[in-house]
Amino acid sequence: MFKPRPKQAEVLAYRRGYMGVAAAPGSGKTATLSYLAAQLLAETELQDGQEILIVTLVNSAVTNFTRQVNEYIKSDGLLPGYGYRVRTLHGLANDIVRGRPTAAGLDDQFIIVDERESNGILADAVEAWVRRDAESPDEYLAPDYARKGYYRTQKWTEALTETARNFIKQAKDDLLTPADLRDLLAGCQGELPLAEICAEIYADYDRALAYRGAVDFQDLIRLALKALREEPDYLASLQRKWVFILEDEAQDSSRLQEEILRALAGEGGNWARVGDPNQAIFETFTTADPKYLRAFIASDGVDGRELPNSGRSTRSIQTLANHLIDWSLAHPQRAIRERAPLSRPYIQPTPPGDPQPNPPDNPEAVVLVAEAYSATKEAMMVVESCKRWLAENPGGTAAILVARNTRGSEIVKFLRQAGLPYVENLNSSSSTRAVVGALARLLAYLADPKSAAKLAEVYRVWRRDERDDPAAVAEIKSMAEALKRVRQVEDLVAPRFSDWLDDAITQAEGDERYDGLRHFRGRVGAWLRAAEMPIDQLILTIAGDIFRDVGDIATAHIVALYLARLADTHPLTRLPEFAAELFDIADNRRRFVGLGDDEGQFDPDAHKGMVTVTTLHKAKGLEWDRVYLISINNYDFPSADANDSFIGEKWFIRDELNLSAEALAQLAALGSGRPYQEGAASLDARIDYAAERLRLLYVGITRARKALTITWNTGRGASTEATPLVALRTFWEEERRKEAVNEPQR
Amino acid sequence: MIELSKGQTEILELPLDRRIWLEGMAGGGKTTVAVRRVLHLLASGVPAESILIFVPQRSLAQPYIRALRGLTSHRGGQVSIHTIGSLSLQMVETFWFLIAGQAGFKHPQDLPNFLSLELVQYFMTRAIEPLVDKRDYFSSVRIDRPRLYSQIVDNMNKAALVGFPISEIGSRLKSALASGVEQAHIFDDAQTCAMAFRQYCLKHNLLDFSLQLEVFRAHVWAAPAARRYLRGRYRHLIVDGLEEDNPASQEFLKDLLESCQSALILYDRDAGFRRFLGADPDSARRLRERCEVKATLEDSFVMGPEVSALGAALAGQLGVTVSVESEADPRRALITVAHRYHPEMVDWVAEQAAFLARERGVPPNEIVILAPFLSDALRFGLVDGLERRGIPWRTHRPSRALRDEPAARTLLTLARLAHPQWGLPPTDFDVVLALMAAIDGLDLVRAKLLTEMLYREDRLLQFAEVHSTAMQERITFDLGERYDRLANWLNRYIDGGRADAIDIFFRRIFGGLLSRAGFGFHDDIDAGNISMNLVDSAREFRWALDFMSRYDAQIDLGLDYVKMVDRGVIANSYLRDWIADVEESVLIAPAYTFLLNNRPVDYQFWLNIGSEGWSRRLYQPLTHPHVLSRGWPPGAVWSEDDEQAMNRLTLGRLLLALTRRCRKAVYLGYSELSESGYEPRGLLLETIQGLLRRLAREEQHV
Repeated sequence: MFKPRPKQAEVLAYRRGYMGVAAAPGSGKTATLSYLAAQLLAETELQDGQEILIVTLVNSAVTNFTRQVNEYIKSDGLLPGYGYRVRTLHGLANDIVRGRPTAAGLDDQFIIVDERESNGILADAVEAWVRRDAESPDEYLAPDYARKGYYRTQKWTEALTETARNFIKQAKDDLLTPADLRDLLAGCQGELPLAEICAEIYADYDRALAYRGAVDFQDLIRLALKALREEPDYLASLQRKWVFILEDEAQDSSRLQEEILRALAGEGGNWARVGDPNQAIFETFTTADPKYLRAFIASDGVDGRELPNSGRSTRSIQTLANHLIDWSLAHPQRAIRERAPLSRPYIQPTPPGDPQPNPPDNPEAVVLVAEAYSATKEAMMVVESCKRWLAENPGGTAAILVARNTRGSEIVKFLRQAGLPYVENLNSSSSTRAVVGALARLLAYLADPKSAAKLAEVYRVWRRDERDDPAAVAEIKSMAEALKRVRQVEDLVAPRFSDWLDDAITQAEGDERYDGLRHFRGRVGAWLRAAEMPIDQLILTIAGDIFRDVGDIATAHIVALYLARLADTHPLTRLPEFAAELFDIADNRRRFVGLGDDEGQFDPDAHKGMVTVTTLHKAKGLEWDRVYLISINNYDFPSADANDSFIGEKWFIRDELNLSAEALAQLAALGSGRPYQEGAASLDARIDYAAERLRLLYVGITRARKALTITWNTGRGASTEATPLVALRTFWEEERRKEAVNEPQR
Repeated sequence: MIELSKGQTEILELPLDRRIWLEGMAGGGKTTVAVRRVLHLLASGVPAESILIFVPQRSLAQPYIRALRGLTSHRGGQVSIHTIGSLSLQMVETFWFLIAGQAGFKHPQDLPNFLSLELVQYFMTRAIEPLVDKRDYFSSVRIDRPRLYSQIVDNMNKAALVGFPISEIGSRLKSALASGVEQAHIFDDAQTCAMAFRQYCLKHNLLDFSLQLEVFRAHVWAAPAARRYLRGRYRHLIVDGLEEDNPASQEFLKDLLESCQSALILYDRDAGFRRFLGADPDSARRLRERCEVKATLEDSFVMGPEVSALGAALAGQLGVTVSVESEADPRRALITVAHRYHPEMVDWVAEQAAFLARERGVPPNEIVILAPFLSDALRFGLVDGLERRGIPWRTHRPSRALRDEPAARTLLTLARLAHPQWGLPPTDFDVVLALMAAIDGLDLVRAKLLTEMLYREDRLLQFAEVHSTAMQERITFDLGERYDRLANWLNRYIDGGRADAIDIFFRRIFGGLLSRAGFGFHDDIDAGNISMNLVDSAREFRWALDFMSRYDAQIDLGLDYVKMVDRGVIANSYLRDWIADVEESVLIAPAYTFLLNNRPVDYQFWLNIGSEGWSRRLYQPLTHPHVLSRGWPPGAVWSEDDEQAMNRLTLGRLLLALTRRCRKAVYLGYSELSESGYEPRGLLLETIQGLLRRLAREEQHV
């Protein structure tokens, strides 16, 4: 039973209207919101068809929530799922668009292209454009590179692809179609070369999507809003349907997403938003911004609440995080200070008697390393430290958090060399890759069904749910070994005159392991027969047999659609090629967004005694006993200082221009009619980036329960310690000194 | 023969010069009376050829066909059984030279050429694709081309069925949109394309369904000679399922009724579930006034009181009130267990069906498993579950692409092997699959071994070429022998140097090999039906193109056919798909397909009850079934309220239609997570939840 602490009880008193809650990391906001939903469901007399809509970033909230409302549902003899709907924002947009697809020129069967396919389509459009206009690099390449073929073709194309991607994303957020842009450009006085290029690429990209009967993720949001705006009676019916809207992780909602929810809630509607503006860390160039949630909480007619108490971290770690808030409010750079990257409330410990007390404080477990390591040295030091700590804390959880995937991959190499058990959650989440890998192994076997080695792999997949049971692991291993030695696979999976199992059982009379094998053979036989089905249906059939987890099933469904599209566009693709495609994803050679790709699917506590390697972005919502934040230098965490470098500013582009920022500024100029001034947007982007990085650092610090270590490295030689790290370290040394002075007196 | 009730007997024995309107609910015994009335007419000496049995869809004529099959002692030729499609086709063909010129065909001296659904798609592509590309039509529509074209066809058919000129399609659709909807312009494009296709058809003597119907209505039925002929011939009219028929049929029947000596018109109250296909139960009622006798059959011979109460309660929950209500507790007819995962639900369904069949002695024929859509994965899961429990099954899924049918793919792969001159050799893996499907008992492992060893240079070598005896033993000799028969057949065909027309090739390899004992299609009714469908489809294609070659020389037959199927063309619907098997088996089908078979059963399973597919129309941006219906006031805007009201009405009628074809109980297949891992929240689920909650509350208050 959920026992709310006083601040949570205030939130749970909500019954109607608009409410905004600023929650500190670890304050139990998702649990509070779930409980609120259950309460509302129990107390509200819903009409037929009415629901409470819960919008969240994570699928796992579904499970929490279901458990809590189950009691109520049972009492009325109803089927599970009555009276509520939990959706991610994209899932919600999908529901809305699917409710009225025709207004957007879609039919029931429209498909949503994933990032890979969308990138592929965009790359084609950009390449076609670059071929058409050989002069295009002249305008932007730096003089040193302007005559070099490699830069004129390869690098320019890469830069333009990224720029166009950001431009298209923003144009869609601004609800501008390629035709709108064409009109605006035609009526525009000044020169906007990037906008012109990107608008043409956008038109090509959009035409390619239309031809496939597809939309991308931005379209989904845009089209949902369009449907709500263009069809007021549809909106009204949805408003009647969703009597309450409860929104979790509200700081990450983009402007458009917020507009969708605002429209659904309607004037005088019921909308409760919970989030932590300090954890708004979505990539730059999205319209998500912490200021939206802050403004919402502060606005008239909104019941503003706080959830400051958190039992997650030790007092020392909380103190360090709170100092980062203070420091950022007084940031040495005025421009950053004015953005208010982080804001109060401070994180407060839980009150006495709370069911989730803070871990006992240990200031010595907070270590901020001043020393300038090389990247290699830093990795070695951290891995060494992990090794020591895990040996001393065998049941503990530890994580190394990185800003970029590439750094993560380097760390993984060191962990492997050191023989430390680790779990990686980088390009795609490991759960997505595990699902894709399992399917790849099955397809690979079906493509080559006579291979005993591949059948043995399938056996491992078949028993994947028992991975965490040491006894089962040993048995699976020995059984897989036995299967690998089967010389004539058909005698096992499709016996005619001789049966491998009969022979095996004679050898090991009474061995109950073979009952399991018999069952396994039954399923393999079914899959062999199913091999003639269309690929998407084959995947769904197999997935139904091997996956139990919600996220896994959903991911398998995405895989099915993905391969069906591949089959549509490449009619000669067969099982061997499908399997190869999946192995590319499973081996992290290709990015793939599964449905399990949110923090809810990754449970650090399921990996005790191991080191998790993941990005700071993916670490959101998670916590470990010990956390390492590494590479906190002025390359990954710049502060817009004179010698900071910025990832968005390419060395081969003239005048330190950030092409994406400039393109967006040209787009803004086009929309507003205000003049465009080259370079201003690039400078502005530095400030935005620096602000976002401060929040990222804050997120990193607040992942730690008991121990935190922060290090930095010199990168390729020139990087320096990040300015906020210097500030934190200085503060912490001072604190420790004060404590040391006070200590003897106690 | 079933003994008739008093009410039924009274209707049966009405004098043979009466026009009778018989209405009531499904399961009331109307068709039984009508079948007996036909026999009664014949027994009374009425010539068979003067009787016309008119149905909205061929499958509904099955009870009549069965009753007439064994009959030998009657006068005067054959009883005619028609739908508006078959009748109009026959009439247009008969009176072609009389009307072709005035109907605007460019070659009135040549024969007409009627297009199947597949051929319409083929010619639509030829006729308008260049136009669509050149003018950048449908730029804001995001659907692929085959579906885009099928919606244009759909609009034209609706125009013909409802009876408005195709030139009004665009304006009707546009006027139903609320103002400010950006998409309005696409209806202009759709209009232009419809006109362009119509011109193409007139120019090439092609008749798609809409043109055939229009020519029939405007030229054949209007021509005194043709009218005299029809009225003179059909003196006795039996109409079954008038409420499921379209206004074009109803208009024709109204006219014909005037000159008929007798008629029996069956009208199902609370039905009309084929609205999305143009059914118009409201306009159907206009025939009632033209009948001298109005009779009703109110009592169900099918439903038990609980099922009756369930149907009424569910429909009532949706605002569809029904005249017959039962006091019984509807929950007694409803069996369900909630599952978290979809596969668990599928397995539960198979288990329950097996339990009914084995433990309760329910004949498998009395069990149906229904879903709004039947995906391959769902079908496979069910079939696998039933097979493991030894329960016979059959499935029926109309409107699928031929290339999605494994049997069709097998034949196409074999055709590619047999025609090296096409330059389209199958991939290795296609050969593996084709061998597995074609040879009875051959599994994927051995098929793979055979392919690796014996598929060389686009040809299948002899089994004797397998390098070792040990390997031959692995394959086993009986399978090797079957393989040889297949390989020899193909090689003889290739070496014989004769290239049959593609449909003849399909027929020969099916009849001469695949349907024989030892091969994959032996005893497989589904595969047999699909093969025959493929033969018919290829033959129609050949005939149409043979004919076309007079006007268009750039057509290459076999190759074009294979390419058309590869493009994912939606298959024609063939009657053989609908005929219930003699064998006792559990039917797995989409819900509407089951209804169109019109055969009551003891137990129904409703699967995926969370799916929106139970209540929602198909959303298609270029067409709109309700706006293009007769009852829709021109110029009125289609609103959200209309949409929801229509969803509720559609579902209400569907549930009534289903329960009225159910004797004992309905099993609900529900999983919290759908096949795709989402929590579904469709109207059927909402309705059931609402009903359960209402009943629970009522109990608490008692």
